[in-house]
Amino acid sequence: MTVQYLFFFAQAHHEFRIPELLSLSKMFGFDLNLPENPEDQDPTRPFLIVGLQCEEHARLLASRSILIKSVYEYYGHGSTYEELHLSNRNNRNKWARYIPDTSFKFIVTAYNHKIPQLRQRDIVESFSYMGFLGKIDMKNPDIVLACFEECKSYIDRHGTTREKHEGDGLFKQVYFGRQVAMGSARSLITMFDVKKRSYYGNTSMEAEISLLMANQTLASPGKVIYDPFMGTGSMAYPTAYFGAQIFGSDIDGRQMRGKGDTPGIIRAATQYGVATRIVDLCTFDITQNPWRCGDLFDAIITDPPYGVRAGAKRLGRKRELSPAKMAAYLEHRASPRPDDQPYIPPTKPYELSRLAVDLVLLSRYLLKPGGRLVFFLPTVTDEYEEVDIYSMLCPGMEVIANSLQDFGSWGRRLVTIQKTVRVTYLPPVVEAQDRPEDQHVPAHKDFREKYFRGFKSKN
Amino acid sequence: MVRLITHNLLACHVKGCTSNNFPLEFKDVQVELRDAEFNSDFLRGFIPKIEWKALVDAARQVGNTSLPLELPEMLDDDFLKSLHHVLLEIHVEEGSMTCPNCHHVYPISNGIPNMLLAEHEIG
Repeated sequence: MTVQYLFFFAQAHHEFRIPELLSLSKMFGFDLNLPENPEDQDPTRPFLIVGLQCEEHARLLASRSILIKSVYEYYGHGSTYEELHLSNRNNRNKWARYIPDTSFKFIVTAYNHKIPQLRQRDIVESFSYMGFLGKIDMKNPDIVLACFEECKSYIDRHGTTREKHEGDGLFKQVYFGRQVAMGSARSLITMFDVKKRSYYGNTSMEAEISLLMANQTLASPGKVIYDPFMGTGSMAYPTAYFGAQIFGSDIDGRQMRGKGDTPGIIRAATQYGVATRIVDLCTFDITQNPWRCGDLFDAIITDPPYGVRAGAKRLGRKRELSPAKMAAYLEHRASPRPDDQPYIPPTKPYELSRLAVDLVLLSRYLLKPGGRLVFFLPTVTDEYEEVDIYSMLCPGMEVIANSLQDFGSWGRRLVTIQKTVRVTYLPPVVEAQDRPEDQHVPAHKDFREKYFRGFKSKN
Repeated sequence: MVRLITHNLLACHVKGCTSNNFPLEFKDVQVELRDAEFNSDFLRGFIPKIEWKALVDAARQVGNTSLPLELPEMLDDDFLKSLHHVLLEIHVEEGSMTCPNCHHVYPISNGIPNMLLAEHEIG
């Protein structure tokens, strides 16, 4: 038997909403029923009615979800007040227990609109049939009842001012319920604000998105999570804050170290009180990695460099050394001079679509069964096809969420892939040479070149 | 950092170095001890992944002899406490790790090991 709850969401990153809810209900281990009618799931609208087993589950979701603003026990809704009152009366058994002696407060508000005070009062009066006998208490009420009008969006008139109260009463739906919890995790966006962080770089991920990514990993105490493109550690802080133990690696140790003796990532993690959960940071190339075995991590979370501000690199040379130069190099390695600078191995560019395929293969090896790979993939909006994502999969790895953050001509997709098998794989052999191009060419291939061409075609 | 948990997961990965490439030997290490949160579920979940002898040897190399030579069958609280200390609270900040097979030296500086390979060592 499920109880319906009304969720009010922040209107940001709407494609991330349902995946986040599903991830969190899985992490907490309870069922969540979405509305059957796809129109009632429309993430561009701020309200969603969800079936849950109990109020505690609604509170848990509100405590961890980044996109939930508030949660209400659902009493009724309709496209007119008549419809609303009818469904509210039918749900009398939900609120009858508050009639005799419960102090309450009544909120009337609207999304996309401000209701004139006079009409607000009329709306409150129209609920008088509920016959609540408790006193009205605006400061410390026992319960808060809330009535929301969802007004039609005025997107077509973007940037123009409306007359005061223009369109008042023209709402799409009106909802009514009892407040259960306010979304407390949204304040983490301010807490993890990159500008207030003691260490960050020009590729650091914004706080809200990194928190959404952390929720996709199901991060919680005791979990072990790995970021193979650690950079300045943006995803490590929220995942560690949620209790997970973090391993990080990067081909360029300078990103993780910053200036000074204490690595920059440790300084920032100390600021958030999670330094002990950053288990270790290592410098290596994921195509030549030192992990002794697989089946290690509960999740892999990463934002691979896609070449606009920083390009991905791997060990090797663009052009092989000539035999003479190779001999000279080997001789030099065998008997280095005492005043030599530390040796820094050469690197070559790592093309994004190759990297994505390799990352999925490596994750299949390193993840525990049921473990998740959560990462961002940039893509060209006009060229993107769903097969771009599916063509980088390998057997045993399945896409469970794919949410777009749209920047106009390009965007990036947060992809969540789950290891669905209990098979132990051998470490993947990353091919040194580019594969022959007989396969599907995804839109994110050569993303850097396309970006700097302004996404125009070559001709 | 370079906690012993990480040391237990890193093997030499130089091209062709596939046997006797684990565990890496600590050399000239500077060790620091730092408290970490105790989580018995995490430890129990991680035990199957541990190469026990390598962990005991590494702990001895950095001066800790609290672990038994064999992994006990009964995981009592005292044992989990010492395991927690060895895995998560001993940090090797400086020094190096050397492959027993190919003798590649992986230097550690400010707690971050450099596991990059030279160009003749990659596959």
